Amino acid sequence: MKQEKIRNFSIIAHIDHGKSTLADRILEITNAVSKRESKEQMLDSMDIERERGITIKLNTVRLNYNYKGEDYTLNLIDTPGHVDFSYEVSRSLAASDGAILVVDATQGIEAQTIANMYLALDNNLTIIPVINKIDLPSADVPLVKQELIDTFGFQEDEIILVSAKTGVGIEELMEALILRVPAPKGNPELPLKALIFDSLYDSYRGVLTLARVVDGELKVHDKIEFMETGSTYEVTELFVYNPNFQKVDAIASGEVGYIAASVKNISDVKVGDTITNSKNPCLEPLPGYKPMQQVVFTGLYPTETNKYNDLRDALEKLALNDASLTFEPETSEALGFGFRCGFLGLLHMDVIEERLEREFNLNLIATSPSVVYEVLKTDGEIVKIDSPQKLPDITKIKTISEPYILTNIFTPSEYIGSLMELCQNKRGIYKTLEYITPERAILHYELPLSEIVYDFFDKLKSISKGYASFDYQVIGYKPSNLVKMDILVNGVLVDALSTIVHKDFAYNKGKVVVNNLKAVIPRQLFVVPIQAAIGSKVIARADIKAMRKDVLAKCYGGDVSRKKKLLEKQKEGKKRMKQIGNVEIPQEAFLTVLSDEEIND
Amino acid sequence: MTSSVYIHIPFCSHICTYCAFTKFYYDKNMTSDYLNSLEKEIKTRYQGEIIKTLYIGGGTPSSLDILELERLFQIIKIFKLDKDYEFTIEVNPENLTLEKIKLFKDNKVNRISMGLEATNEKFLNYLGRHHDFNLVKEKIALLKKYGFNNINVDLIYALKDETLDDVKLDLENILSLNVSHISTYSLMIEDNTILKIKGENEINEDLDYLMYELISNTLKSHGYVHYEVSNFAKVGFESKHNLVYWNNEEYYGFGLSAASFIGNTRITNTNNLNKYKLGNYFREIEELSYKDILSYALILGFRKIKGINKKEFFNRYQVELDSLYNIKELIKDKKLIDKDGNIFVSYDKIYVENNILINFVGE
Repeated sequence: MKQEKIRNFSIIAHIDHGKSTLADRILEITNAVSKRESKEQMLDSMDIERERGITIKLNTVRLNYNYKGEDYTLNLIDTPGHVDFSYEVSRSLAASDGAILVVDATQGIEAQTIANMYLALDNNLTIIPVINKIDLPSADVPLVKQELIDTFGFQEDEIILVSAKTGVGIEELMEALILRVPAPKGNPELPLKALIFDSLYDSYRGVLTLARVVDGELKVHDKIEFMETGSTYEVTELFVYNPNFQKVDAIASGEVGYIAASVKNISDVKVGDTITNSKNPCLEPLPGYKPMQQVVFTGLYPTETNKYNDLRDALEKLALNDASLTFEPETSEALGFGFRCGFLGLLHMDVIEERLEREFNLNLIATSPSVVYEVLKTDGEIVKIDSPQKLPDITKIKTISEPYILTNIFTPSEYIGSLMELCQNKRGIYKTLEYITPERAILHYELPLSEIVYDFFDKLKSISKGYASFDYQVIGYKPSNLVKMDILVNGVLVDALSTIVHKDFAYNKGKVVVNNLKAVIPRQLFVVPIQAAIGSKVIARADIKAMRKDVLAKCYGGDVSRKKKLLEKQKEGKKRMKQIGNVEIPQEAFLTVLSDEEIND
Repeated sequence: MTSSVYIHIPFCSHICTYCAFTKFYYDKNMTSDYLNSLEKEIKTRYQGEIIKTLYIGGGTPSSLDILELERLFQIIKIFKLDKDYEFTIEVNPENLTLEKIKLFKDNKVNRISMGLEATNEKFLNYLGRHHDFNLVKEKIALLKKYGFNNINVDLIYALKDETLDDVKLDLENILSLNVSHISTYSLMIEDNTILKIKGENEINEDLDYLMYELISNTLKSHGYVHYEVSNFAKVGFESKHNLVYWNNEEYYGFGLSAASFIGNTRITNTNNLNKYKLGNYFREIEELSYKDILSYALILGFRKIKGINKKEFFNRYQVELDSLYNIKELIKDKKLIDKDGNIFVSYDKIYVENNILINFVGE
C-alpha cells in the first residue's frame, strides 16, 4: 500500500461520549466485523473495560475502505477517555496523523474533551469534530455546535453529526477521514525508523511490540535494534490486527503493526523508544513523546508474604504495556515485603489493583495513597518523599512542600455554590469562574493534590448529581504546614497507617481516623487502644472493646462435622487479615486513614 | 466400639421461628412411612452392640400420637441396653400427655428433655412456641409424679428486646421447677429459619455476654455444675449422651439428617425423605485421618469446662496432648490452663473459645 492511501487516526472523547460505539460502527462499515458478530465495544478486550464501560488499554486495528473506487488502509488507534490515562492517549496520538474529536450531543464539551483536544493539538494532528448521539431526544445539536465553535474555533461546516448507535453520518465521517487526515509523510528510502507505542506479552512469542513505521520498511528476518536500550533482535513474525491477528511479510513506512522478535526480557522494550535496522541504522531516534509523571503512590503488599515473587512478576507484566506504572521494592514493618507503586491517578491505581487481583489471582493490601512531597532539610538538601515513612526526622525538616493542581470543573451553574464549598474544605484556593453558556461554567481552583486523592471525585459527582466533570493539571509545589500523623494500634506504631496531614486539620483528621479504625478492626480478646499521634503527642484515641462472644452455643446434636466446618470458615476469614503485633487488621483498614468522614459503626 | 444411638424424628405440630433442623409438619401417612424406613435403616446398620445411651430427638418426638410412639418403641426394642443405660426423649409441653408419660415409663425411658425455651409469653411468641409456663409447671410435676427424676429443660436467651431482668425472671421460674439439668443457648439466627427470613438480627454481643454471665453465676449458686459451654447439671446428672459427643466417642445416628461417628468415619444422613425411603441413607461421608480425629478430639473436648484429661488422652491417642498444635503457647498465653492433670479453656475465655478452637482446625 502506498503511503498516500494510508490514514492513521485516533478517536478522542470525554468518557461516555460514545467513542467505543463509534469505533464499532467504523469496524462494521469497513467490514472488519459483520453486524452479526459485533459485540458491544469490540475494541475493549479486557473484562474490566467492558464491565466499567471504559477503555483503558489502547488497541490498534487495520481497516480497508474503498472510497470512490480507490482502496485505502485505515489504522484506527483506539484511546482511553479518562484523564488518568492521558499518557496512553498521548501514545496513540504520537502514532496518528489525525483525530476524531467526539462530543456527546446531550452533554456538550466536558473536562476531558478539552484535555484530550490539547494533547492532540500538541501532536499537530488534524482534528475532525464530531457530535455524537444526535438520535437522542435530549440532544441539543445547535448548542453543542456553538460550544465547539466558541471553545476551539472550528468552522460550522467542519462539524459532522453522527449517531454511532443508528449509523447515521458514519459515511460522511469516513469521507472526512480520507479527505482531511493527511497521509503519512515518511521516506521509504531512508533507514528504518519506527516508534514503539505499545507492547503486550504472548506466552508463546514473548513480547509483541506495536510500532508505527515512520521511515524505511520493516521485514521478517530483519535485524532490529531498540535504540534506547541498545538491545538487538531478529524479527521472527510481523502481524496486523484486523481485528484478528494476520501475518504479513513487511510493514511499510506509514503503517502500523505488531513485531514478534523472541523478546523474552520485558525490560528491553520501552514504549516511546525508536526501532531501527541494526545493519543500516538511522542517525537520530524519534523525539518520542512527553513522559507522564506519576502523581499518586501507594504500597502494594501481598496478604500472604510468600506471594511476593508472584506480585513482582505480575507488576512486570502489567508494566510492559503500561509504561506509566512504576514500582520499586518497599518494606514495611507491619506488612512485610511489597512494592511502592506510582500511578497517574486514582482510577489508574484502582484499575491496576483490580487487574492484579483478578488476572493474577493475588490478594493484596494497599496502603493509603500518597503524593510526592518535597522536603527542604535544615542542611539545605531537597528530598522527594513518596511515602510518609520516608519523611526525615522532624528536627531536620525546614519546610515541606506539596504538589498543587489547577482544576477545571465543568458544571451546571446550579451546583457552583456547593462545589466551591467542597473545594474550600479541601484547602482550595479560588482562582476563576468562566461561564461557557449561562447554564454551564468552568470552575478553577488550586487544590493540594493530596486532597483529591481519596474521595474528591466521588463527592464532586454526588454533589452535582453526576453532572459535573473534572480534570486537572499539576502546577507545581507550594510549601504547606504539614506534619506526619502516626497511628498506634495497641501501642505499636503501624508504619503503613501513617499519613501526612495539614497541621490545622490534624486533630479532626486524627479523631476521624481512630474512630474509623475502631469500626473496621474486629474486636480482639483484649481491649485495643487506637491512637493517632504527631511525634510523641497523642492527638486522638479510641478503644476497641474486648471481644465478648465468639462461641457456638448450640450443639447441633451429634452433627459435629458442621461445627468443624464453621470453625474452618472462621479460620479462613482470619487468614485474610494482617497480624500486626497481636492484633488482626483487615485489608480495608489501610484505606480508611484517608477518609474525612466517619464510618457508621 | 459404638455404644450410643441417636434417633431423629423430623415431625412437628408447629414450626418454631428459630429452628434450622430438618423437620416437617406432622402428617399421619408420612409418619407411618417414615417409621417403617427408620426400622429398615436400624436393622441394616445396627450390629448388635451393647447400648449405653439412647437419645430420641427432633423435630418433636412427642408430636407422634400414642400408636406411633408404641410403634417407635417396638422398633427400639432391637437395641441391647446396658444395665446402666441413659434413655432420653425430647418432648414439648403442649403434646406431652399422661398416656405418653406412662408409655415412656413402660418403655424404659429414664430421662426427659423438655423444650421450655422461655417463660415469658412475649418471648415464647417471638420464638413461635405454643405453650405457656403454667403448662410447663404442670407437665414437670406430672413427670415427677411418674418417677422421672432426670429432667432437662432448654432455655434460649439473647432475644430481641430482652433485658437482663427478663433473663433473671426466666431463671427464677426455671429454678422453681427444680429439675436436674438445664441447657441454655444464646439465640443464633441461622439461614432457612423464619427469623432470618423476617430479617431479624442477633443482639449486641456485650449484652449477650452479660446474660451468659448472669445465667452461669445464678445456676452455679443454686447447686448446678457448669460442665459444658451451654450445659448445667446437678452432680451426677450430666447428660451421658451429650458427653459421648464431647468425648469424641462413637455413636450411631439413625433417621433423616442424623449424624454418626463410627470407626474412622463421620456420616451425615440425607435430609431428603424420598432418598431415605429408598435406602439412600448417606449424604456425606467423611473418612477421618489420624490428624482429623485429633482435631475433633480437641474442638469437642475443650467444650467441657474440665477440658481434656492428659493421661486419658495419651492412652487413647498415643500422643501427648500438649505436644499438639500450639497448645503449649496457648497455655503460656493463659488461654488454656494446665492444672491437676487436665488442660481446659480458661473459664473467662469460654464465651470466646472459637478464637482458641480455630487453632485446631485447617492447616
